[in-house]
Amino acid sequence: MSPSGIVALGAVLALAPALPGVATRTRSLLTGRRGPPVLQLYFELAKLLRKRAVVSEATGAVFRAAPVVGLVGLVIAAGLLPLDGRTAIGGFAGDFLLFAGLLAVGRFAVMLAAFDTGSSFEGMGASREAMVGAFVEGALLLVFAALALATGGASLQTMLGPPLAGAWRAQWPALTMLGLAVFVLLLAEAARVPVDDPATHLELTMIHEVTILDHSGPDLALLLYGASLKFALLAALVAGVTVPLVPRSSALALLALLGQLVLVAVAVGGVEAAMARLRLTRIPQLLLAVTALVTFATILLLRRA
Amino acid sequence: MSATLLVSGLVAVLAGGGAALLGRGAGRASSAAFAVLAGAGCALIAGSALPVLAGGAAWEWRLAAVVPGGAWVFGMDALSAFFLLAVALVGGAAALYGVGYMARERPRAAALAHAGVALLIVALALVVTARAVVPFLIAWEVMAVAGFLLVMFDHEQPDTRRAGLVYLVATHTATLALIALFASWAAGTNDLTFASLRAVAARPSFRSGLVLVLALLGFGLKAGVVPLHFWLPGAHAAAPSHVSALMSGLVIKMGIYGLLRVAALLGGLPEWFGWTLLALGIGSGVLGVLWALAQHDLKRLLAYHSVENIGIILIGMGTGALGAAHGVPAVAVLGYGGAILHVLNHSIFKGLLFLGAGAVVHAAGTRRIDALGGLARAMPTTAATFLIGSAAIVGLPPLNGFVSEWTIVVALLGAGSAAVPGAGALRIAVFAVAALGLIGGLALACFAKVNGVVFLGRPRSAAAAAAREPGPAMRAPLAALAAACLAIGLTPWLVVPPALASAGVITGAAAVQAAGVDHALAGVSLFAAVLAGVLLAAWFARGWLMRHRFRLTAQTWGCAYPRPTARMQYTAASFAAPVLEPFGWLAGLETERSEGAFATHPSDPAQHRLLAPAWRRMQALGDALRSYQTGRLHINLLYVFATVIVLLGYLAFRRSP
Repeated sequence: MSPSGIVALGAVLALAPALPGVATRTRSLLTGRRGPPVLQLYFELAKLLRKRAVVSEATGAVFRAAPVVGLVGLVIAAGLLPLDGRTAIGGFAGDFLLFAGLLAVGRFAVMLAAFDTGSSFEGMGASREAMVGAFVEGALLLVFAALALATGGASLQTMLGPPLAGAWRAQWPALTMLGLAVFVLLLAEAARVPVDDPATHLELTMIHEVTILDHSGPDLALLLYGASLKFALLAALVAGVTVPLVPRSSALALLALLGQLVLVAVAVGGVEAAMARLRLTRIPQLLLAVTALVTFATILLLRRA
Repeated sequence: MSATLLVSGLVAVLAGGGAALLGRGAGRASSAAFAVLAGAGCALIAGSALPVLAGGAAWEWRLAAVVPGGAWVFGMDALSAFFLLAVALVGGAAALYGVGYMARERPRAAALAHAGVALLIVALALVVTARAVVPFLIAWEVMAVAGFLLVMFDHEQPDTRRAGLVYLVATHTATLALIALFASWAAGTNDLTFASLRAVAARPSFRSGLVLVLALLGFGLKAGVVPLHFWLPGAHAAAPSHVSALMSGLVIKMGIYGLLRVAALLGGLPEWFGWTLLALGIGSGVLGVLWALAQHDLKRLLAYHSVENIGIILIGMGTGALGAAHGVPAVAVLGYGGAILHVLNHSIFKGLLFLGAGAVVHAAGTRRIDALGGLARAMPTTAATFLIGSAAIVGLPPLNGFVSEWTIVVALLGAGSAAVPGAGALRIAVFAVAALGLIGGLALACFAKVNGVVFLGRPRSAAAAAAREPGPAMRAPLAALAAACLAIGLTPWLVVPPALASAGVITGAAAVQAAGVDHALAGVSLFAAVLAGVLLAAWFARGWLMRHRFRLTAQTWGCAYPRPTARMQYTAASFAAPVLEPFGWLAGLETERSEGAFATHPSDPAQHRLLAPAWRRMQALGDALRSYQTGRLHINLLYVFATVIVLLGYLAFRRSP
């Protein structure tokens, strides 16, 4: 735990809601529209936090706990990433399993909340979340294992940052593949095109949005903020794998991190402008292709190391 | 001291069974006596295991009398003690729960079931402490037969009778394989103790291939490794729920214990066997969870999750065996240790889940998931403990399942980065990490489905709407096992070192020092505590912040449809179908479309595509051979004569030894 690490964590927590705005603005500009303001999500969060919640009479404690549980998991997961390029808030050998587990805790909570409402739409969304999540989890763990092979580190703070920068020189083909794979996993986990479309208005075609259909007021604010934080964490992971930081000073490192996050968000917007959402039955194929890519990268790393 | 505790514990449990039998007309009094004696006995058994786990010396005890089948030796080392701990914990919880669960049955039947449970617990304890072939096999058979009698409790049901028969055939096939295993191993020794087996295995002329194949067959059948799991879902679903908890939590683990004990006696496993275990583990894990996801029956679903978790255990064991074969002690200890810890963890949370399922079946009278719903309102303790057990089996932090999966993942990572000469092959094992991730993701889907459809939303049937929480005798074991899940998750530094010490029985005690995870364990523990603490704090903070806000309640938003009913809720079947669809025929989901209706039926591809065709092939072979068996005396005499000639020829022409 270092002061710069805490500052970086604070900056990510504070600026996360801007990232979906950047992605959406990029998509709008590239498709010839203006789109909502970059800071739109902040306005929505402020409005939702002031409102009352409408709660279905079918629901119980699980429905109310889900937004809190998901957000707590993500904040603790953020503490495992070396956001300033050097150290995380905490970590231990094999802590990437905890990172994946904390993401899974949030997914589990949201899926259960969906069932708690008794809504068939939300059950459908939960089912799709489950399908995406199952394929993402295998690929994500293999990515972490590959990073461990590349750097010889066993915790997130020793397998990202300077050790990875050292590994880039010799192992750039494998690490490029890993970076690409994490980017696609970001699209899947953060519910972006081509896996999910945040701009759609038809419940039947949604994944993430339809799963949280019944949440409102402060509960919805927590869920929306959590989704943007997940986006930010995975974007930081993409940035950490593709352009590992070797910071000269902590102020520079923080600026570089924020720049990287914005660039990843712009790239997400670019993908959204360039292609449409995939048919649902294609999503497993996409994620299996990603797993195959990670497998190739791992084989390369096993040969070289 | 430890031996005295063990013997008095076993006597107490048996006395509890005896009290239940003797007072079988008396009902409550004899049940109470059983509960007290079984509970105290299990506490004593746990007490006998703790000194060895805390670092005390292992002991052996030899029966002084002259008995058939060589010396009878019993003993305790860290491996036995760890399994004994699971037996005491889950056995005690299931026995206590059974008193409440059986209160509605006829007193005579309940008394027989209590006695059977007592016998099963004693047999389990003897299996893991036996140190000679004959007492081991006797305890093994008592365990199998007690299990059979308990599975057949509802013998009026044709399904139960069929499941019991299949179980009996499977368990005796396993016993036959074990007899062949020990017979082929012990040739040339005269006392049949495990110590002699170890001495035989140390001879340079000893070949372990046949022994290992027979062990895999016998112990694999008991453990329910795919494709030898065919007997498991039926038997575990048909048994009364506390018996299912014992079967799934403990009895199948004896297969794992047997494999580990064989590994310890052989002084390590060859590399090909390590790869076999790893491959079987990945297969059982992925297929087990897929087939679980397809189930519509709550207890069959849980039974298939046992197949999945046996897969995770085998992944750990395979990694350990490979690490040992390549001379990387850290990988060996962490792999075996993670597997052994997962045995304890799985027995706790699977016991908890089966007991919770029992409470549901008791309250709603059905095991069909899609007929339930909304039970959390009427059964808050059952729902909360079932949710904790579910999160634990999925491997979510801060619970115990996470700790054992973490241990196995660290072992796999160590295998992947092993730097010893010739480790190239070993490093391929790292890909099992992806399988663990996929298994975890699918298990998450499955338990979201179970918790969501059974406990959340609205009741889907009148029976589910009328369900009530069970009495304190059934709630207390649920709470105790859920607390154990949380305790192990929060204090992994208390349980991981003993598990690694148990692995030291196989790898040699010197290797245990190489694991070097003490520092990381502190990290796991710290993060688990932070997660649990922050979750609690955030939950209360939410309540405090929302206290002044007037809350509006309304109907669930049905996308503008105004009159939703409970039948419109998403069902377990429709939840699972899209998750299973990408896996094609492997997932074993058969869909049935007719006019106006759509249904899915789970099937077991291993049974339909592998075992049933193999069985038909064997029958055809038998039919073909039947033409040689005419029943005429002179033909039979001719066969005898020909056999004698062949044997004489063999004796005459074989090379002299």
